[in-house]
Amino acid sequence: MATRVAQLPAEAPALSPERPVTWPKRTKARLANGLEVILAESHAIPKFHGQLSFRSGNAAVVDRGPGLAEMTATVARTGTKLRVSRQIEEDLRRIGADLSSSAGADTTGIGFAGLSELAEPLLGLVNELAREAAFPEPEFERERRQKLEEVKLDRTQPSFLASERLRKVLFGAHPYATVAPTESQVVAYKRSDLMQVYEEFYTPENALLVMVGDFDTAVMMKSIEKTFGAWTGKKPTIKTAPDPAHPKGRRVYLVHVPGAVQTQILAGCHAITRKHADWIKIGLTNSLYGGAFNSRLVMNIREDKGYTYSPRSGVHALRQYGYFSVSAAVRSDVVAASLTEMFYEMDKLRSLPVPEAELADARNYLSGVFSMSLATQDGLLSQLATVALNDLPDDYLETYREKVRALTPADLLATARKYFDSANMQIVVVGDRAQIEDQAKLFGDLEIYDAQGSKL
Amino acid sequence: MNRNQIAMEYTTLANGLKVVIAPDVSAPVVTVGVYYKIGFRLEPQGRSGFAHLFEHMMFQGSANAPKMQHIKLINSSGGLLNGSTHYDVTNYYEAMPSNALERVLWLEADRMRALKVDDENLRNQRDVVKEEVRVNVMNQPYGGFPWLDLPPVAFRNWANAHNFYGDFADLDAADLADVQAFFKTYYLPNNAVLLVLGDVKADEGVALVEKYFGDIPAGAPPPFADPREPEQKEERRGEVEEKFGTLPAMAIGYTVPERRTTDWCAMALLDQALHGGRAGRTYRELVLEKQIAVEADGGIDDIFGYNGPTQMVTRILHKPEYSAEKTLAAFDAVIREIQEHGISEDELNQLKVKWRSDYYSTLEGGRGGMPRYGLMHLLACFTLFDNQPQLVNSILDGFLAVKREEIQAVAKKYLRPANRAVVFRAPAKANVKEAA
Repeated sequence: MATRVAQLPAEAPALSPERPVTWPKRTKARLANGLEVILAESHAIPKFHGQLSFRSGNAAVVDRGPGLAEMTATVARTGTKLRVSRQIEEDLRRIGADLSSSAGADTTGIGFAGLSELAEPLLGLVNELAREAAFPEPEFERERRQKLEEVKLDRTQPSFLASERLRKVLFGAHPYATVAPTESQVVAYKRSDLMQVYEEFYTPENALLVMVGDFDTAVMMKSIEKTFGAWTGKKPTIKTAPDPAHPKGRRVYLVHVPGAVQTQILAGCHAITRKHADWIKIGLTNSLYGGAFNSRLVMNIREDKGYTYSPRSGVHALRQYGYFSVSAAVRSDVVAASLTEMFYEMDKLRSLPVPEAELADARNYLSGVFSMSLATQDGLLSQLATVALNDLPDDYLETYREKVRALTPADLLATARKYFDSANMQIVVVGDRAQIEDQAKLFGDLEIYDAQGSKL
Repeated sequence: MNRNQIAMEYTTLANGLKVVIAPDVSAPVVTVGVYYKIGFRLEPQGRSGFAHLFEHMMFQGSANAPKMQHIKLINSSGGLLNGSTHYDVTNYYEAMPSNALERVLWLEADRMRALKVDDENLRNQRDVVKEEVRVNVMNQPYGGFPWLDLPPVAFRNWANAHNFYGDFADLDAADLADVQAFFKTYYLPNNAVLLVLGDVKADEGVALVEKYFGDIPAGAPPPFADPREPEQKEERRGEVEEKFGTLPAMAIGYTVPERRTTDWCAMALLDQALHGGRAGRTYRELVLEKQIAVEADGGIDDIFGYNGPTQMVTRILHKPEYSAEKTLAAFDAVIREIQEHGISEDELNQLKVKWRSDYYSTLEGGRGGMPRYGLMHLLACFTLFDNQPQLVNSILDGFLAVKREEIQAVAKKYLRPANRAVVFRAPAKANVKEAA
């Protein structure tokens, strides 16, 4: 046995015929109070995952205080009219559940997961947090002190410093420019401000409840009606925000971290939201550029040149605006070399059609990965919530792969020319000034900041 | 109680390759994993970080699939792939639409049969790994804390105590001969398990694996250094400087009982009582009640995925106005409370429900977009360590049978100073001044 010569083909076997993907059945409903509900069954484990989302987040109240929606979500879980903080946490454990509450720029969410056999008490607790949070004074004070330490810690993270600067540069006066509060802004939070946000945001007309898991849809829908049916509240009024900055020309922003042993690069430009007709095109173009292991950028600056472990690019869709970005943490002596390759690959996609074979690989990649993302309860939950919160069409899941497969080299060329705006990329480098300033300034006018955000 | 049983086929090929097939045809997606029974614990002395560097080399090319082909073939089939190095195993895994199953088996068989890499590949991946260490450890606040900081303080046997990510000098010293020797010694069919989970029928899966892996020659059973520790007689302490972070930190590690014993099951629930999020005693006391700490959590990491000395670790970031000694005293009070008074029946019941719920999530959980990673990991470890993948269906019983007295008893027996190590990671002086 051990001496036998390998009998295997020297070529990789071809793909066998594809088995059709069965898209999960969804049941949608709107309760009389306006609460939108989406349910999908998934029986792999005797559990379920859920998310109660509100279509308002930090951006809507940035003028009252950056991060105020996030702080509201944090304190909302620390006490209700019926339960103190400790009781809430123990009750969650008693029913084998996990719960989180947080807010992003555009939405606020209570995420939860628990055992199917104990779904009722978990729904009851979610309902209580959404409707009867008490914002106890001592809990508020404690969470605020906690947040102060967190915002200080954030400023020691290279990736935080990079994205904070890029968002400032891309969005200017628009609320999306702010990713986190300063220490003094945290100190200025008032309990009454949180309660006001709670009152405005946490209403059934503003809410979406998505649940995926091991339950019977009809039974679960009844439970939901029973639990949330008596809740009332209007949609909050939306204020119009100032237009974002649209910076023209490449500029470089260096965030100086003394003693850094590596440089975090992050470059970006304005792109589109998920609702835009080009969304799937930019997704595929990004996947070819730096969105997959097999992408051009990863092959170039990681597998060929060894400049970095972690190069990637992505399209970040906020509700009103989106942006494209590329990042890598690189050896500090190859900052200029890495940026050169990032732009080279971007410009190549803007100038030359993608060879048909490479495009076919990328199409397969994106459509395969898309179906896998639906294979777990929380994966499916996140897709369903994304579709609903972005008001995408109901058949988004079913038609996504066809749309990906229809794209041509000409589509990609046009997409790259439109959105991989290399002439106007804003470049952030976070590292030790002494090692990278000379390299950074080769790419555009340079501004230098410290980790606290002050211009040097 | 729904017990969520996993159906599986377990067999061993003539060359010693263990094979586990766990069919589930609910979606046309399949996950393939190959686990080799070698991790960073048993890498060669003078070659710290080598097991992980070697893992990178496994993506650099094999006899019929040169560099880039592995990644390209899998991505272009609509699949994802990765690998990771652990204490006692190294894994390579892919998830993809099931029409690519044969292709993936061919690839895994090709690199199990013959790795084909050169000096240029090694230089390239050494550079990549150094940037990985910088981005995860050297350029991050609290980077590597405490998973790289505790072992050298806690353990005396080099196997358990060395730098698993690797000293750069050791990474630089590694050459192609080391790569080939490591491959020949450990990357053998008789030192591995292959797993196929998802859209595959059991008999067809076994036949395919036989077709692609059946003629890979077995090798001499690999030598394994003894990872056991000499008896610890007193508490061990160490200090590490924090270069970027603003808060003082500490980590406390207690060595845990031997795996799959009654004490181990009780220790796991004790861990759940102490950690386990905001309801955990450590977080509740240090963060919520006394408000000394900003973060306080931890546990036994990857409890089913190790096969040698390991610790239950508590990681604390505390406010600068409290001294390290005061903070540690507050932690000690949490431990003393449980040693003196145990836990109530109500608390124990809560812990068990949460443990069971978490276990199901582990089984279902994906990783990096790849479904069934958790199930694969457990099946692989139970096969390589215990020769019993079926444990995935029964291991829960031991935890659900733990009694109150047993929790208190393990708290007394294992949460002793002479069974622990403490590492303090205080911000550098210059840093404190700058922050002030």
